[in-house]
Amino acid sequence: MPDKSELLIGCAPITEKPGIDRAMRVAIQRARQGKKAATFGHQQAFDAAIAKLVHDIPVDAQLAEWFVNENLIPVVRSGWKKFVLNPVVIAIATALLVIGGVVAYRVHEHLNDFPGADKARRLLTVGASNRSVLLDPLQTDAGALSDLFFMKHRLEHYDVPQEFAEFKTLGARVFDDDEVRRVAQIWIKEKRMQFFLFPAEPDKEGKISDFADWRFVELEGWTGAVTQRNGVCFMAALRGGEKDLRPYLEKKKQ
Amino acid sequence: MAVTTKNLPQLYRFCFLMTGDAAKAQAAFQETVREAATRSAGDEPPPDRLWFFRDARRRCIALGEQGIQAEPGMLEEIEISPTAPMQIGQVDSSQLALWISAAPEPQRSALALFYLDEFSLAELLSLLEMKAGEFSEHICSGRRQFQAWLDSTIAYYGGETLDAGQV
Repeated sequence: MPDKSELLIGCAPITEKPGIDRAMRVAIQRARQGKKAATFGHQQAFDAAIAKLVHDIPVDAQLAEWFVNENLIPVVRSGWKKFVLNPVVIAIATALLVIGGVVAYRVHEHLNDFPGADKARRLLTVGASNRSVLLDPLQTDAGALSDLFFMKHRLEHYDVPQEFAEFKTLGARVFDDDEVRRVAQIWIKEKRMQFFLFPAEPDKEGKISDFADWRFVELEGWTGAVTQRNGVCFMAALRGGEKDLRPYLEKKKQ
Repeated sequence: MAVTTKNLPQLYRFCFLMTGDAAKAQAAFQETVREAATRSAGDEPPPDRLWFFRDARRRCIALGEQGIQAEPGMLEEIEISPTAPMQIGQVDSSQLALWISAAPEPQRSALALFYLDEFSLAELLSLLEMKAGEFSEHICSGRRQFQAWLDSTIAYYGGETLDAGQV
């Protein structure tokens, strides 16, 4: 009984077109190099001669007209569903969606940016990585620390806004940051909130323009509400979203 | 692959090999193309080019069942000769079509489709609805039978081809 390879050789393609499966390619290769190479050669020549004869079958002129009019058989075009379900299209669409999402997020993130926003985000990473043990223990009202910062560290206008002045502190420290420069950090009992006071950033024209409203920055699950007065930025930061900070800001308005 | 003007001549040749008769081949071909056009007009176009050959095969088999039938019997088989291409060169395409059309089904369809040199093995097996082993046996057996027919019809003697009747 012939083996699989011999069976495949028996119906080996007359002309080798691209897309021949591997088993057939291997069988042909073996046949060409094996003992039956001559027999296989005769078979190939035999098949080629018959295929040529078939190809030479004349087509009636009347029938040839059918071939000219392609409209008889409209080419079936790939529908949009088939196009959409193509894995390559899905992959490209997904990649574009992700890129679009990231770009939209970045645009949204910077839409309401202010000159000190980058500094504020940097301090959010400080807040996220710090532990309260790094700070000097200090239990008082947050608003009372303005005098301490001025007296001890000569930091003028490092004032905690009224909205947060009555919060009880756990500790505070003043440190120098390469980018933000002199920073005052206060740890609050309430929701493990942190306050940062740091020098305002001049705008493109070199001016420092204060703003009394609250502007938000977000980074890696932390949110900061920033206001700027007398050339000093104050940021109240906590782990959470803008909605967690809003109630504190609206209290003062009421 | 779309069915275009390139495939349609092959479809006609297939019909001709299957029927061995130009008029029957033309009838089967035209019916198949008409059916395809009707389907296309009704928003149900043929799914692929294989459909054309399946449809044509069905029509050719039906046409072949009309009229005189070849007597069933064992044909002589001879191993392929190195001089076969020269012998085949002396054969007319209508003689080949007559010989193939006289073969029993499904060998007739297997030979006709195989020698169109149009399809991959997978497509051939799909069209014929048979396994590779069975298909290979039909083709190998067909080769040997055709060689026997060649030898009985056209002899070849060292570069000179003679009709068997002349020997």
